[in-house]
Amino acid sequence: MSLTSPGFLILLAAAAAVYYLAPKKLRWIVLLAAGLAFYCVGGGLAVLYVLFTALVVYVCGLALGRLNEKRRADGDRRLAARRWCVAAACLLNFGLLFFLKYWNFTAQLLSPLLGGRDLGVSGLLMPLGVSFFMFQSVGYVVDVYRDKVAPERNPLKLLLFVSFFPQMVQGPISRFGELAPQLLAERRFDADHVKYGLQQMMWGYMKKLIIADRAAVLVNTVMGDPWSHGGAVQALGVLFYCVQLYCDFSGGIDIAVGAARLFGIELAANFKRPLFSVSLADFWRRWHITLGAWMRDYVFYPISLSKPFARLGKAARRRFPGKLGKVIPTSLATFIVYLIIGVWHGANFRYIAFGFWNGAIITLSILLAPAFESWKSRLGVRETGPWRAFRMAHTAVIVFFGRYITRAPRLLTALWMVKELFVHPRFQELGAVGELGLGAGDLLIVAAGVLILVLVELFEEKRGDIRLWLEKRPPLIQWLAIALPLLAILCLGILRGSHISSDFIYKQF
Amino acid sequence: MKEKLIRILTEVCPGVDFAAETALIDDGILESLDIVAIVTELREAFDADIGVDDLLPENFNSADAMLALIERRQG
Amino acid sequence: MTLPREPVKGDAMSSKKWIAAFLGTVLAIVLLIAAFNFITDPFGVFPGELLEWPSYEMTVNPRTAKVTWLKKHWQEYDSYIIGCSSTSSFSPVTFGGYWGADFYNMIMYGADMLDAEQLARWLTDNCRVENLVLNVYLDNAVYYDTLPDPLSYAMLPEVTGERALPFYLRYLFCDPRHGLDKLKAMARDTYMTQPFDVFDEATGAYDKKVRDAEAIGSLERYYMSYPAFADYPEASLRTNETAVQGTLRSVAAIRDLCEERGVSLYVVCAPVYADYLDWFPREQVEDFYARLAEVTPYWDFSRSSVSFEPRYFYDETHFRNCVGDMAAARMTYDGEPYVPEDFGAYVRAETAAAHQEALRAAAPLPEEAYTADVPVLMYHHLDEVGNDSTAITPELFEAQMKALRDAGYESVTPDDLIAYVRRGEPLPEKPVVITFDDGYLSNYEYAWPILERYGFRATIFVIGSTVGCTEHYKDTDFPITPHFSWAQAAEMVSSGVISVQSHTFDMHQWAPYESGKPRESILRWEGESEADYRAALAADCGEIAGLILSATGERAHVLAYPNGLYDDLAQVTVLENGFDMTFDTEFGSNTIIKGMPQSLYGLNRFTMNESVSVETMLEWVSTARG
Repeated sequence: MSLTSPGFLILLAAAAAVYYLAPKKLRWIVLLAAGLAFYCVGGGLAVLYVLFTALVVYVCGLALGRLNEKRRADGDRRLAARRWCVAAACLLNFGLLFFLKYWNFTAQLLSPLLGGRDLGVSGLLMPLGVSFFMFQSVGYVVDVYRDKVAPERNPLKLLLFVSFFPQMVQGPISRFGELAPQLLAERRFDADHVKYGLQQMMWGYMKKLIIADRAAVLVNTVMGDPWSHGGAVQALGVLFYCVQLYCDFSGGIDIAVGAARLFGIELAANFKRPLFSVSLADFWRRWHITLGAWMRDYVFYPISLSKPFARLGKAARRRFPGKLGKVIPTSLATFIVYLIIGVWHGANFRYIAFGFWNGAIITLSILLAPAFESWKSRLGVRETGPWRAFRMAHTAVIVFFGRYITRAPRLLTALWMVKELFVHPRFQELGAVGELGLGAGDLLIVAAGVLILVLVELFEEKRGDIRLWLEKRPPLIQWLAIALPLLAILCLGILRGSHISSDFIYKQF
Repeated sequence: MKEKLIRILTEVCPGVDFAAETALIDDGILESLDIVAIVTELREAFDADIGVDDLLPENFNSADAMLALIERRQG
Repeated sequence: MTLPREPVKGDAMSSKKWIAAFLGTVLAIVLLIAAFNFITDPFGVFPGELLEWPSYEMTVNPRTAKVTWLKKHWQEYDSYIIGCSSTSSFSPVTFGGYWGADFYNMIMYGADMLDAEQLARWLTDNCRVENLVLNVYLDNAVYYDTLPDPLSYAMLPEVTGERALPFYLRYLFCDPRHGLDKLKAMARDTYMTQPFDVFDEATGAYDKKVRDAEAIGSLERYYMSYPAFADYPEASLRTNETAVQGTLRSVAAIRDLCEERGVSLYVVCAPVYADYLDWFPREQVEDFYARLAEVTPYWDFSRSSVSFEPRYFYDETHFRNCVGDMAAARMTYDGEPYVPEDFGAYVRAETAAAHQEALRAAAPLPEEAYTADVPVLMYHHLDEVGNDSTAITPELFEAQMKALRDAGYESVTPDDLIAYVRRGEPLPEKPVVITFDDGYLSNYEYAWPILERYGFRATIFVIGSTVGCTEHYKDTDFPITPHFSWAQAAEMVSSGVISVQSHTFDMHQWAPYESGKPRESILRWEGESEADYRAALAADCGEIAGLILSATGERAHVLAYPNGLYDDLAQVTVLENGFDMTFDTEFGSNTIIKGMPQSLYGLNRFTMNESVSVETMLEWVSTARG
């Protein structure tokens, strides 16, 4: 079920009403029921994947809890059994994830080796947002393993953690320690939460329905046939794709976070105004934050602090004395993380290349950081506004070229398109921008929407949450901030030409 | 021992006032790369068996917290 | 109003109030949408009459809007025609005339037999039904119980028996742009058929006034206007056994219903274009129609020589009104109108096998059996001095007449052509139509005696306002070529040689001589309202027809367009005002088609003057037959 479907809104409204009418002790059950209903309606039998994942992590969590207790009791640090539990949870979950997402891709790769036999499976039931709830569930097991959280003994409560419905489709990825207490708390109706939640949902729908779905039309026109456009129009297509991706993804997250807030539950932030990133590393701390944090805690730290890496670090330091030797292991770990993020995005070489692109740039910037620092001090550059703006711009350029890789029809086409931008830009084609699927009115709406978005984000970057500012305005203005967005969503979003609302891009990731 | 710690920390992350800060993680002063670098250095310098399980904010928010962690993990 | 510059201290609005404002606004928007949809009612499902526009609503959804219409107007009808869009060419007027009944055409685009069954049930339950014509089209063997779109193809719950609440909620909260489109269309509505307004709400049939007025002649020209027929696509379709069974079940249900209620049921299988028919395997088609005969006897028009003539169709699945009229004549055994011999047969279970056998022999008729090429000569003035525009010397004119007679040509009149089209009455081997425009005195002085001498008949198109002007242009002082008088006209008509017809009363004005805004042709002035124009044209038609009738006793029903100019609106309006044949001035011959009134419109004419030698003229008229 899409977050933009009327079904979702009806379910949400019904769930919220029942939630606050139900006795406090039973409220978590309302959330559980709503989540299962959401999944059954939206994905049918795919709900079995959710139950499977919940069962696996429930059992693993209990087993780990028992082992942890034993360890505390006799001071035994037997690692093997605990590691096996984690490994089992990872294997079962990621094994299933791999099968669902990458089997056909792998089968294609293997097919020449197998004498052309195709082992691909067609008609796989692709569960909604499968990787989001699996990441979240595996995180829970690791947290129990690390003794950060106590294992959940009630399987239904754990199932609620796995299946909390606003975040099922595209995250954010929550931590058990943060989310579960909120889900299970016996909370009173808090008007502030509901208000902020509704505001965030409206904001998300505006981003998704008014900007992203419009931009998508131009993107599809250009990217559907990049060969018939010059480099400049292709670049415009990629630029619109950047807009589309951000508005689509962060809009969906806003809807999810806002929906959760209707129940008084605060989900982790997933975006922190990535436009204002000053480096690619900074970008990844502001873009899809919960995935980055997950990768940091469950991939980067374990790898970079593992025994083999410790040995590698020693060897590197002996071989390259000074800074270089010290950063080699962390760089390698960083690189691996971005490779995984790339692969996670999709079963395609483009995404692997995307991982390389990000990993390579971040690794390089770590390696070159000392050199930059010395240039900076020699040139007398200060951390002032213009310098910050320059860094933001250069980050934007890096991200922009990275998007060529993910959106072009093929990897080689992406490289060719970058070449075209410099060799055959054909700038005069930009004059016919109105023939790329969007009329002048739609282009104007996208431009105005992006302008408002940037202004709001600039405000929030400097002065904090705009909702806090807004609630101090006179009632008329506050009411206008309700009515105008609603009308905009209705007239410019829902009733938008004959274009059909496209699915959230991140839904199946 | 604390001086040695602060010296090592300052070497890894120049420009941070380790003696005074008490919310190094919570305030986002140290990032993941810094943490890994610090842990690697501490393992070497103090022969402390600090593992992934120890990477909790409360263990790295201040120099004192790190000192306590080192003592727990030594030997 | 000045807003406080500084933020109001504390919360200006409590969060609870904010939530109330939010919910209130959402509710208001939802109610507004519902109210808007209710009032505009683009699908014709609600009872309101404020913005009622039945023909628009029928276009958007005929299933709902026609039932809504009948709920108010059922007393005006006692007989119904039901079926998919090919049913639309069974004219309620024609059927009503034959049956002595008041027919309503319930055509619903894409109707399947389940729709028909449910509708028949509703009609017999709620309206007076004496006759029911049920059209079973070939597509009914392919589709059954379909709903391509829930808004445009749905029927009212009282017809289908489905639950009313979800039905009305669907329309109450549908995309308000449907209603907005209706408002926009209201602003653009015209008398002519528009894409958003294709029904005639009073008869229920498609409003084919433009299609019925379009000039149709040679096949080559038809292929240019309808390229689909020139290069008919190859495809293969199969009937669907589930659909066939469903269709037959529903036909049986309608049959039983009619028997029970004492309704006369006429099942008709509409003509199918031959190339479309060929998309299906022959045995499947035969199987379908044979099994239909097991259920009910029916009139089969599906396959005949008509199926092979593209001019009888306006697209691959839709035949023209004139074909529907032929079917009605056949069904009532009316021998007067032209109907091809092999068109239509009454099929019963026992005759079905033999009928199918006979259908296999269906083939196109030879062109000359039902079409005629007819050249028309257009003269103006006869004068001692000819010129190369409108004047010819009596000597040359006489030479031309002599040559025609010697070559074996026989003159035919517009009435002869009409008789050919309507009743299939034969034309001579070498027909020619002789016409004179404007009504000059020289026609009376020179042409009439010459025509009489050579045994020809001719038609003179007079401009009503200049009849009898021998010196001056109307009541001005401007000189004019002399025109004959009404008395002279009567004299010529009574001789049987000349027919006097219309060149309009006063829509062929000579601009330099007019004091007001001139009407140089029959076309609408730029900026003139459609209603004003139609009124002016209707008045002109009435005026000239009255003058001709009172002066000569002739019924004026043929019009030569001034300067040969006309358009759809003009042609439609002229047809509505008593005219049934029109001429333009385009160079070329004409193809007249039996059973097709459109072949009588906008006939081409060869311009005759002093520059046309006898040989040239013979060449023109002879290439006509070819």
